Amino acid sequence: MKLSRRHFMAGVAVTAILPVARPVFAAEKGLIAIITPSHDNPFFKAEAVGAEARALELGYETLVLVHDDDPNKQSELFDSAIARGAKAIVLDNAGADATVAAVQRAKDAGIPSFLIDREIKESGIAVSQIVSNNYQGAQLGAEEFVRLMGEAGNYVELVGREADTNAGIRSSGYHDIIDQYPDMTMVAQQSANWSQTEGYEKMETILQANPDIKGVICGNDTMAMGAWAALEAAGRTDVIVVGFDGSNDVRDSILAGGIKATVLQPAYRQAQIAVEQADQYLTTGSTGQDEKQLMDCVLINGDNAAKLETFALSA
Amino acid sequence: MRDLFTPLAILSCALLPLAGCKIVKTPDPQAAATEVAGTTDEARMAAYAGEIWDSKVLPVIAEHAVPLTGLRGKIASEGLDAAGAAHGLRPVGEANPWNFAATGEGVIVEANTASRAAKLLVDIDADGAADVTLQLGPVIRGTSLRDAMPFLIFTDFRDQIEFAKLAGALNALAHAAITLPEGELVGRTVGFEGVFTLRNKGDAIELVPTRLTVQ
Repeated sequence: MKLSRRHFMAGVAVTAILPVARPVFAAEKGLIAIITPSHDNPFFKAEAVGAEARALELGYETLVLVHDDDPNKQSELFDSAIARGAKAIVLDNAGADATVAAVQRAKDAGIPSFLIDREIKESGIAVSQIVSNNYQGAQLGAEEFVRLMGEAGNYVELVGREADTNAGIRSSGYHDIIDQYPDMTMVAQQSANWSQTEGYEKMETILQANPDIKGVICGNDTMAMGAWAALEAAGRTDVIVVGFDGSNDVRDSILAGGIKATVLQPAYRQAQIAVEQADQYLTTGSTGQDEKQLMDCVLINGDNAAKLETFALSA
Repeated sequence: MRDLFTPLAILSCALLPLAGCKIVKTPDPQAAATEVAGTTDEARMAAYAGEIWDSKVLPVIAEHAVPLTGLRGKIASEGLDAAGAAHGLRPVGEANPWNFAATGEGVIVEANTASRAAKLLVDIDADGAADVTLQLGPVIRGTSLRDAMPFLIFTDFRDQIEFAKLAGALNALAHAAITLPEGELVGRTVGFEGVFTLRNKGDAIELVPTRLTVQ
């Protein structure tokens, strides 16, 4: 009890200094907190925008917060949402292990959580975990990468942040395909922590040590953008770059003949589904779905890039 | 006969370490798989796949398998969702594609057995054109076998990595379960039973066979 009281007071304090609440209109159905990583990455912004739009349509007030991939900050944001009496939390979390306690705390306070994009390592705590089928998507990306490489050559892999399950699963999906081709040789594998800046820096260094590379496969689009910028700066636009996410930036690069391919995660729709399931759960007591749900990804290349907009593919 | 025993031998070898493992006290495969602490996801899921293959996976396929010729007709005339509702298997949730268990027989019109992703293209309606691709592996695309099993629920697994390794282990068992005869395959008749995923009506059918007989 002492613990939860302390957290409650911490939440009150945090709420007092966070002017991020956006009550658009006095909604009768209550507040939904939408917590994601930084909106600097357009993927997470699309999630927040998609979730907020659907929540407002369904008659909720929204509280949009970012944890910047910091589990401590995420924990404070949960306290804040609990203190504000949120009816539900839609979350793209800050770590598969570290998030379990925060989601449990919300559950203990009677607030259901609906996770998107990233899983946590426990089930039975969140009501829904709706994630992209990263393994299926990574296999699509790897198949295209192998095809573009002509099934042979030296390549580099930039992986995401290690605490994030998606970094491991995408790498695993890539290698389950690429490693079947004996003439594909990985000369460097480094984490660039999902970051464009780090992608640029890592690529610059790797390129100096391995000028004979033919391709770079990246765990997300921001790292792909960083890697591509470094390759362009070095005059190496012959290098094949493949990303993952389906961002507008990479779409534009594909259309301009830069990056060759990416894999679309339906982030916008995924966030909307989370809000819809939250609404159904709050209204009826059940989402009617399994807790953990996978959504398939789609390969994006020169053939369909023009149809891509804000993490959704038009018909 | 020798050809028949090779996959069996491989399979037994794969299962031997598990059979000799003293940690596996309980007959419940889920518990057994999770109790093998300290091993990799891949090893645990391979062990689990081995335990469920004969007792659960093959019976589900046998129970739900429909003739591929009729199924293709139904998909063409009534649509994928109608055919899926009647014969398909899929996990709940938006955007999950239908999986089908099917049997069929046809003539091999193309065989690529040199590739790691070996496949046979089979004509099942005697028009000379391929109607179905049989994925022989060892590289088998997709997660059809896993996703077609109603008892394999994503929520029961730790994360996507573990769940993906399970799909890979089931694909490996499918690969181990089939043997090809020596010699030219094109022009010969092949009978098969297996599973495929269909995302859109009109997509190519890439079936993962669990039974294959070349005449």
